[in-house]
This record gives sequence, structure tokens and C-alpha cells, in this order.
Amino acid sequence: MTKDDCYQVGHITKTHGVNGELVIFLDVDEPSDYADLDSILLDVKGELLPYFIESIAIVKGSRAIVAFEDVDTIEQAERLINCGVFLPLENLEPIEDEDRFYFHEIVGYRVVDSREGELGIVRGVYAMNAQDLIAMDYQQKEVLIPINSDIVHTIDRANQRLNVTLPDGLLAIYLEDDTTTKAETNGDRDDTDED
Amino acid sequence: MARSLKKGPYIDFRLDNKVQTMNDSGKKSVIKTWSRRSMISPDFVGHTFAVHNGNKFIPVYVTENMVGHKLGEFAPTRNFRGHTAKKDKGKR
Repeated sequence: MTKDDCYQVGHITKTHGVNGELVIFLDVDEPSDYADLDSILLDVKGELLPYFIESIAIVKGSRAIVAFEDVDTIEQAERLINCGVFLPLENLEPIEDEDRFYFHEIVGYRVVDSREGELGIVRGVYAMNAQDLIAMDYQQKEVLIPINSDIVHTIDRANQRLNVTLPDGLLAIYLEDDTTTKAETNGDRDDTDED
Repeated sequence: MARSLKKGPYIDFRLDNKVQTMNDSGKKSVIKTWSRRSMISPDFVGHTFAVHNGNKFIPVYVTENMVGHKLGEFAPTRNFRGHTAKKDKGKR
């Protein structure tokens, strides 16, 4: 099984105790969905190896303390620190709704604005703590779009389209960026500027 | 140390004026700002700010749970990597 057939659940951050237990950071929306795992795949030096789980406990929201079979000492556990944790793609629940999507599935989709029409192609998604941003290629520039239900409305999987309503002036900011930077270096800028 | 309550929150007055003007007119366009130190007030909710991170503008759509934080907290100044790997993360 290769990484193309899998999705990343998180990674191992550190050991826990001296009996080979490990702490996994779960980089997912709902960590509690992973409280009943029997086995996982670990990316050990570029190779995905199956590990069977003896016990797993979700703690502090996005962290899990895991004991693997045949990992009984802290020395064995230390070798697995920083390894990526993967699961087969068939374990990932498919989303059929028009207003929900996985971040990885929209890469390459066309962004269509309700007023401006087709704008560009989704290059990627920046996941941040407070808000996530879609990076879109538009006129050879990267335009960032906040992911929010007021801005990103629906996804059309058949036509690979993302329907959005961008706030007024968002595109102009990226197109005028070069001139703004010049004004800023000349000391002409104000602290705020409306577009 | 927390800012004294006597002083109230710091909000750049030009930024505050622009938000007030937009709220009065009912218009909602992106407000470009360099004032990362301004606190997000309840009046900002629903507006989109383009906050400068020293290199470019990061759009910040203000929601209720951002109130009380500074605008700069939502526009990281260090490089942040793309999230194109297959993960169980998405718009819910």
C-alpha cells in the first residue's frame, strides 16, 4: 500500500512513560472518531508499515496515547517519533453534501464567483487555527480566500467547481499589491486603507 | 501583563471609523489594514479585513469567536505551508 492509497491522520510526537506508549497528534476535525482504531500504518523511513494497537485513549482533544503490539520499551518507542500516521482511503467517509468537502479534494477545482464568474484554479488550502484559506491562482497571482459559509457556498464535484461569493475588493487587493508596497516603502501609507 | 481596563481596548481610530461607516451604510467591502495591534470589536463581526503580514495581505473574515483578539493574530508572519495532503479535514 502506498501513500496515494492512504490519508494522513497525524504523526507521533513523543513517548509516553517507559513501557513503549506513544503520543499521536491527530490532525483531523473529529479526533474522537479515532478512539476505536485496531491498526494503523506508520511512515517509517518512507515505507508504510502496519502496527496493531493494544490500547488507545484520546486525551486533550487532538492527542491520543497509544500502545502498539511488540513495542514494549521506551527505546523501541523512540524510533517511531515523528513518523506519520496513515489510514487507508477507504476508511475516510465520503462526503456527498454540496456544502461540505475535504480540503484535499478541492485542489485543482475551478473557483466560480457568483458575480465575477470563473476566476481561477485552487492551488491548495492553508489550514490555520482560527480560519482556513483557499489559495487560488488568479492572473498569475496567489489570491487567498477565507473558508467560511458566507464566502464559500457549494461544491460541484461533477464539474469540479467551487461556488463562492467573494467580498467586494478582495481581488483588487492582490492585483494592486505591488503598487501598495511601493507606497509603503515611501512612507505614504496610512494604517488603514479601504478598497 | 494585561492592558488596563481603565484604558479600554485599543482600536486604530481610522479602522474603527471605516467599520462604523460601513455598518451605517450596510456596505461590506474588504478593509485593508496594517494595524495588526487593533483589537477586534463586536462591530467587526461579518466584515473581511485584509491584514498585512509584512509581505502580503491575508484576508480575515471576522467571526464572533475572534472578538477580543488582535487582528494580527490571524495573519501569521512566518511561512505557512499548504495543506494539500489527504487528511480528514474539511469544511464542516
